[in-house]
Formats: sequence, C-alpha cells, structure tokens
Amino acid sequence: MLEITGLDAGYGDLQILTDVDMHVDDGEYVTIVGPNGAGKSTAMKSVFGLTTHMDGTITFRDERIAGIDTPEIIRRGIGFVPQTDNIFPTMTVRENLEMGSYIDEESADEALQAVFDRFPILEERQRQRAGTMSGGQRQMLAMGSALMLDPDLLLLDEPSAGLAPDLVDEMFDKIDEINEAGTAILMVEQNAKEALRRCDRGYVLVNGENAYDGPGTELLGDDEVRQRFLGG
Amino acid sequence: MALADFFISLLTFVTIYSLFGLGLNVKFGFTGLIDFGHVAYFMIGAYVTVFVAMPAGLSETYEGLTGLGLATAFAGVPGGDLLGWLVALVIGMAAAALVSVLVGIPTIRLREDYLAITALGIATILNAIFHNERWLFNGAFGIREVHEPLSGAFPIGTGSFQLNLLLFGLPSVAILGYAAYRTAKVVRPLSVRPALLGTGATLALAGSVVFVITTMTGLVVDLGVFVLNVDNTIAFVLLVGSVVAGRAALTETDHIGALLALASALLFTLWYLGQPLVAFVTEGETADLLLNLFWLYDATAGSAGGLDYDRFFFLFTLAFLVGAYLWVERTVNSPYGRVLRAVREDESVPEALGKPTFRYKIQSLMFGSALAGAAGGLWAANIGFIDPTQFASTVTFFAYTAVIIGGTANNRGVILGTAVFWVINSGTRFLDDFFPSEYAQQLAALRLILIGALLIVILYYRPEGMLGEQDYDIDLGRGGVSDD
Amino acid sequence: MASAGLLDALLQGLITGMIIAAGALGLSLIYSIAEVPNFAHGDMITIGAYLALALNKPGAIPFVPEFGGLPLIAAGILGVAVAGSTGAIYEVAIFRRFRSKGADLITMVIVSLGLALVLRNVVLFLVGSGNINYDTERVTNTNVELYLTGNGLSVQTVQRQAGDLVTLGEWGYGWLSLLAIVALAAAVGIGVYRWRSDDASFETVHLVSPRIFGIASGITALAALATVLQGAPHTIDAAVWSTSVGVSIKYGVIIGLTLVTMLAMNLLLKGTKTGRAMRATADNMALAEIRGVNIDRVQLVVWVLAALLTALAGVLTGWFASNLNPNMGFSLLLPIFAAVIMGGITSPYGAVLASLIIGVSMDVGVFLLPAEFATYRTAIAFVILIGVLLVKPEGLWGDV
Repeated sequence: MLEITGLDAGYGDLQILTDVDMHVDDGEYVTIVGPNGAGKSTAMKSVFGLTTHMDGTITFRDERIAGIDTPEIIRRGIGFVPQTDNIFPTMTVRENLEMGSYIDEESADEALQAVFDRFPILEERQRQRAGTMSGGQRQMLAMGSALMLDPDLLLLDEPSAGLAPDLVDEMFDKIDEINEAGTAILMVEQNAKEALRRCDRGYVLVNGENAYDGPGTELLGDDEVRQRFLGG
Repeated sequence: MALADFFISLLTFVTIYSLFGLGLNVKFGFTGLIDFGHVAYFMIGAYVTVFVAMPAGLSETYEGLTGLGLATAFAGVPGGDLLGWLVALVIGMAAAALVSVLVGIPTIRLREDYLAITALGIATILNAIFHNERWLFNGAFGIREVHEPLSGAFPIGTGSFQLNLLLFGLPSVAILGYAAYRTAKVVRPLSVRPALLGTGATLALAGSVVFVITTMTGLVVDLGVFVLNVDNTIAFVLLVGSVVAGRAALTETDHIGALLALASALLFTLWYLGQPLVAFVTEGETADLLLNLFWLYDATAGSAGGLDYDRFFFLFTLAFLVGAYLWVERTVNSPYGRVLRAVREDESVPEALGKPTFRYKIQSLMFGSALAGAAGGLWAANIGFIDPTQFASTVTFFAYTAVIIGGTANNRGVILGTAVFWVINSGTRFLDDFFPSEYAQQLAALRLILIGALLIVILYYRPEGMLGEQDYDIDLGRGGVSDD
Repeated sequence: MASAGLLDALLQGLITGMIIAAGALGLSLIYSIAEVPNFAHGDMITIGAYLALALNKPGAIPFVPEFGGLPLIAAGILGVAVAGSTGAIYEVAIFRRFRSKGADLITMVIVSLGLALVLRNVVLFLVGSGNINYDTERVTNTNVELYLTGNGLSVQTVQRQAGDLVTLGEWGYGWLSLLAIVALAAAVGIGVYRWRSDDASFETVHLVSPRIFGIASGITALAALATVLQGAPHTIDAAVWSTSVGVSIKYGVIIGLTLVTMLAMNLLLKGTKTGRAMRATADNMALAEIRGVNIDRVQLVVWVLAALLTALAGVLTGWFASNLNPNMGFSLLLPIFAAVIMGGITSPYGAVLASLIIGVSMDVGVFLLPAEFATYRTAIAFVILIGVLLVKPEGLWGDV
C-alpha cells in the first residue's frame, strides 16, 4: 500500500535521510525505532509532505505522493497525528474533531459517532475547551481527529511521549484496537520495546539510513539490535 | 546659494542624522529592541542642551522655564562658550539617557511588538506635553534663543586670499580625493561591459532629468494634463534608454554594489562639478569650479574669504560622528557587545549563562538614547531654533528606513543608509521648485508614499540592506546547532 | 436646566469605545491569525472613511468622476465594500509574500509601518490635509435631563429648535417604581443568565455566551419597564441632584451597528466553517494546515474582514464627529492597540470589552480632569495600557 524507495529527505538544505526503503501493506502495523536524531520522524513526516523531498519515491496505492499538497494526501486516505502541538487549545473537543473532517464535512456526523464510540471520554467532554484537558486526553483527541476521515493509513509520531506510564499501556491498547479494525499503522516510537512487541514489523533507522528490519518480535529478540540501538 | 554651501548643509544634516541612526542601531540593530520612540531622546537632548546653555531673559515672547545660562557662565575662559555648550550637551545626553531608563524599566520585559507600541506612545505623549505646556519650554512656539557654540569667532581666515585658499582649499581637495579613491576601490571589481552600460544608463538618466527640468522651467504643471512635445519625447527616450541599459548592466554583473557606487559617483560628479566644468571648458570660467572643489573655503567669509561658521560646524559635528562611531564600534566588538547580540538572537541563552540580560538591555537603551541626545543638541545648534513639530514620530520611522536601507547592525551601513535616504529626500525637493507652490504638500506626501513603498520593497528583496550585518572581531559562533 | 455631567461623559465614552471596538476586533484577528502587529490599522480606518467620502462628495477628491454624490448611507455601505477589497490587495500583494518568506515579527511590524505611511500619504496627496465632512443632514441633539427630587426621579427631554429650548416630553418615577424597575430588570438578567448557562462547567463554550444573553435581557427589561412604568412628572424646583445627557440618532445608529457587527463576527467565528478554520489557524497554524485548511484563503478572509471593520469604524467616526482629516485613523491607533493588548490578542471578545473600558476612560477622564488636559485624551488610553502591562506584561487575558 505504502512504498518508500531510495528516499533522500530533510529540511531546507539539511539532509537527514539517505536512501531509505520502507513499506506498509494494507492493515499492517509497522513501527520505526532507533536512537535520537536517527530521522524516524523525518521519514514519517515525508509521507505526509512535511519535509523537503530530495530524491527517491513515495507511492501510496501505486500513485506517487511525494510533493503533493496536504489536503490531497488526506483525501487519499492518510491520517497524521503529530507529536506535540497536536490540538487546537481554544476550541472545544467537538470542534477539534470536526476540524479533523474539515475537508469533507458531510461525513462529519457519522465519523464523530464512530470516534466517540472508540473514545468515550471524548464524547463525555465534547464541549470542553481542549486546552484544559490532560496530556493523555489530548493524545486521544489528536488521534480521534486524525481518524475522523477513516484513513487507510494512520501515521503516529511518538504517541507515548510525555504520557504517564499507566497511560502508555492504555494508549498502545487503543492503537491495537484501531489496527484490528483495519487501519494500517505507521508509528515512530521512542519506547522501542513496547512498540516492537505489539507491531507486525519494525524498521530500525540509524543516522538517517536503514539499519535493520523484520518482524517486531524478531528484532526484539536480536541481542545485537537490543544492545546497540534499544538500550539493552 | 552656491552649490558648495548646499553641499555643506546637506553633509551636516546627514552627519547629525547618522549620529541619531547610530544610536538607533545600538538599540535595534545590535540588541534587537524595537524602540519606536527614539525621536523622544533626540527631542530631550535638543531641548535640554538649549535650555541649559540659554541665558535668562533673552526674549519677551519666551514663557518657558528660565535658562541656566551655561554658555555665558564660562565667559572669562578662552573658548568658554564652547566649554559651556559642551557641558550643556553632556547634560542633554544624560537627560536623554535618564529618561530612557525610566521608560525602559517597565517596558523592557515586554515582548517586542508591545515594546514598540509602548515606546511610540510614550514618545507621542512626551511630544504632546512639550507641545501643549507653554510653561515648560514655550510649548508650540518653541525656543529661538539657541546658542551656537563659538559662532562669535567665525568667520576665520588669515587675511591673505591666497593663503586662505591654500589653507582651506587643499584639505577640501584632499577629502574629495580620498572619497574618490575609496569609491574607486569599491568600483574596481566591476568588469568593462557592465561598467560601460552602467555609465551609459547613468548619463541617460541624468540627461533625461536635465531635459525634464529645463522644459518645465516657467511651465505651469497641471496634474491632470500631460502635454507631449519634442523635449518631453527626448526626455522619455533617454529615460527608457537608461532603464534598458541599467537592467542590462545589472544582469551582466554580480557586483551590484560596485555598479551602484559607480552610478552614484557619476551622478555626484555631474551634479556637483557638471555645470562648473561646462563653464570652465566653454568660457574659461574657473571661479565656480574652484569654489566647488575648495568647498571648505567660503569666499564670502570676511574680506579675504576663509572658513565660515557653517563649515566649521560641519567639521564639528563630523568630529562627534567619528567619535561616536569609534565608541560604538569598540563596544560592539567587545565581549559586552557580544552579549548584546546574544540577547538579540535569543534572550534565554545568555540568561541561562547567568548574564543579567535586563541590565544589558537597559544599558543598551541608555547608550543609544545618549547618542540620540547628542544628535539633538547638535541639531538645535545647527538649525538655530527648536519646536516640538521637528520631533514627530515620523523622524523615528525615517531613521529606521535609513538604517534598514544601509544595513541593520552595521555602523557603516547606518551612515551609508542615512546618506542615501537624505540624498533621495533632498534630491526630490529640488524638483519642488518646478511645481507651483500649492503642490508643495502633495509633493511631500508623494515623497512619503515612495519612502513607505521603498521600505516594503527593501525588506522583501534585501532585508539585510545594502551592506548587510557587519563582521565582528568576536563572533557569536552561530550556525545552527552548537557543537562545543 | 441641568448641565452635562458624568453620565453624559460616560455615554460619550461608550460611543468612543464602540468605535475603537470595531477597530480592535479587526486588529485582534490580524494579530492572532495573520500574526502581524498591524501598524497600518489606523490608516486603514482613514482610507475607509475617505472612500465613503469619495462616493458621497465626489467633487472633493480629484480623479473621481463627478456624479453628484450618493447619500451617506449608500456611500457608507459601498465605501465599506470597496475598502474590503483593499484588504485583499494588502494580503496578496504584501503580507502573503512576506509570510511565505518566513518573515519574523519585527519585519512584519516595519512592513505594516511602510504600508501605514503609504496609505496616509495617499489620502494627503489626493485630498490635502484640511478638515472635511460628509454631505449629510444635520442631526439635532436631544438632551435628556434627569432630576432627583423628594418624590423620585423626573425626566425631561429637551431640544433646541430654531433657537429655542423646546421640551419634548416629561415624566417621572416614584421611588417605588424605581425600585421595581431596577429589581425586576436585574432579576430578568440573572434569570436568563442562569437559564442559558446550564449545568456545564466554565470550560464549555457557547455560541452566544450566557453572560451576554443575561446582560442584553437585563437591559431590554430595564428599557421596557421604564417605558411602561412612566408616571406623572414631579416638580423639579427642589431637585437635589440633576444631570443632562446628550443623545442623538447618531448614538443609536452607532451602538446598533457596532452591536450587530459584533454579533455577526461572533456567529461567523463560532458557527461557520470559515470561522472554525480562522480560529484553528489562530490556535495552531501548522496543525490547521495538516488538517487541510487552506491557510492562504483564511488569511485573505481575515484581511478583508479587517478592512471592512476598519472602514466601518472610519465612516462612523467621520459621521459622528462631522469631520474627517488624514490623521483621524492614526490618532485611533494607540487606543486600538491598547485595547487589543489589554484584551488579549487571541480573544476578540476581550478586545471589545477592553475597547469599551478605554473609550469610557478617555471621555470620563477628560471630563474629570481640568480643561487644559483635554488634549491628552488619547494619552489616557495609553496610560491605562502601560498600567496594565506593568502588572501583567502579557496582557489582561494573556495570549496562548
């Protein structure tokens, strides 16, 4: 479904990724891990058109998407949950979600109900100002917003960042749920152990290049990978 | 008046404004504080200097506070009135610095745009107070008893015509020669073709302007009517030719600065020496040529000519400018200056390193305002009378334009930008003479429209100005992520 | 005969505040969404006023074809509409370009300054620096005189017609009536407020805030009761206290128009897709773009709205003062900035409230201070701003 081949990308004149290959099949749960500064976020942001594309191809359902504008990428079925600054603080929960389906307002009501079903707490607090919510609730809101258009592929940038440990489990459970319902997941995670445990496949990026890849459990079990890149 | 006199007057004006601009550059260029109230310190410096120097009871129409008479206090000492005036100037600078501290303490903590509007407001209020309160400094009527230091001593000369000519003429030529030398250095990198194209463009432009001026003399211009005739056509053709050649020259070379310097030098020579040269070649008239070349020598100053007060005062202000320039340069290139620049980039960094950024900012304000105050004192002595309308907020905005044109955070840029700005401003004032006086206000408005548009265009195409930020002896070590 | 007092100054201040509010609303939008501290905002007001003038008195402005002139209402509406298009020009020709270059705040400030110089001097160039006014009918002032006597409150409406003072009407309220009016109005207001703010906590957001509903109902009830409970006038010779308040149709129009405008803005921001896009952009421009918002289009709408609002403020000021001059907008710049900074850049409603506070302070201040200080009217706005910033450097509401 998503094919990244020979990707060189970065920001402005600064190149971060060199010749990166990746792919995500329909319904797969793929994770990107690696040390700090390895370019994990950059790789994911490149799919969503938020970086400077220098070389290589990115195709989604056999169509090139490198360089096309954001509303079009959303329309093709890719959703994005940024790591920070991922909600509209002065708008209500409901309004935040409605912004998620901004480019297709007609589907909003149905989509809203689906998101409420998945995240009951959002329904409870739908008229609450988003900025007054806790970190964990905000993450849910950010995810819910990205799900409003029922994307085929959901991009998650470090979803567990800044969350209290007990919420981290809840967060990953939610992501499992979403994946089981049919949405493919491409996730960047700092918490490599948890991510690799739950995903189907993983990529380890180091210094902007592919280092390892394979089924999550395999990578976890590999001592070399564990020691060199996952902090033992 | 002779061209040399106008030249001197323009130079003095530019020097004083450059001093004002240097002060602004300290605050804005180096420390990143947008002080839209900078003119207030200009005003305070002017008024306080005048007030302190002014003897009591000189005029019956003055209803403000009584002067302190410092200028006459040292009458017994040789050079006493200069000494008195200098003391007054220092007091004026101190007053400006003091007020800037009072303004700064509440406003420095504000973010930059709040600081801008607050400073603007305070300057506006101060101006309103000076304008309305007659008992303070005579309100809207201003002060006419402005002491001009050492004016009594001038004109000076040696009594011998030839000696005066040599004494004042040689330095004049030397200065012109030096300016030509420096310009030549800047122009040198230019290759032949663009130089020729540039010369052609400049000459065509000059020719076009000359045609326009000579055909318009004696003609009443009606803004709604345009008359086409031979002279107009020639002027228009020359203008088009100039634009074409100019564009060609610009595309052919990377040394845009050299090209502009060449064009400016040509225009200056044509303007300043053009008519005298023509008179010399066709009629053998040397008088005008000599007078323009020996610009420090004034033929009307006394029986044998000599140095008149205006010329002296120009040299006087120039000395101040040089002094201020050296002072600011030294500060900026010192570790102190480096902290200022660090504050401009990102205040949290020097703060994290334990520097009291608040104090640095206040000091920067004081320094910049003191310079503005000095400029104010000099301004008053130059003009001879002061009133609040001379210190409107537009003066600050002109200074910002000049600094930005020349290059923010570049002291030489400030002087260059000020010169360019005022040449354009005064140059277009020349054109005023060719329109009926009822259009004077319109022309002034047109000039301001051009300045506003120029500001926007420069910020878009060349925000670093003509010279860009200057090089420092001590670098900030910028360049992205710090690696030490 | 009663003389104008505090109440009169208060009402004047309210009008001034409303006009400032029209400006502040636009500036607040530009500040929070376009991220431009717009120093040209005052001169946009001037342009709006003069555009209406061009349609109302075409002879006064060169290059405008002489067509006899439209009545002020039509000229005003058309002028405001045309001014809206200038907003589009500023955005497309200037600010969009600087935005795509990633210009910083300081640059935007100076750019807006350049624009201000251009706008003000275009007016100076075309029309000259003198005072001029709209060609419209004169409006007569009516003085509402209030007298407090032993029996209660007595009201007289007086007008100067053909040189004589003519009493249009008189009536009075006994103490009981007064008490009833105030108490009932307050009850209505509080009741409506309670009704509209259901059990939800302070965090929830309504389309029209319950506080506004409450205040509006209270005022309506006050007016209704005051009309219904009118009684016979009392003798005023033994009046303990009296005051006079000047009113005219201008007041009503200005208050009405500004209220309608504010309501319309509120509905736009809270109830429409574009409004949501605007609020989203103000909150988090990057995220808005990620969610598919066309930022360029939003900015265009913002600048057009700001131009419309400033033009409205300009026409109203020119009409209210029966005077236009090229500095009229610039002199409002400081109070408008003060209002926006006080009210919080991200809150248009805060800006409106701050505008009213500033307007009232300016006119009440001038009333209370000795006569020589009248020229410092604008300075009052400014002193308030400095006071607020001393205590809270981030503004009353702060910004996100």
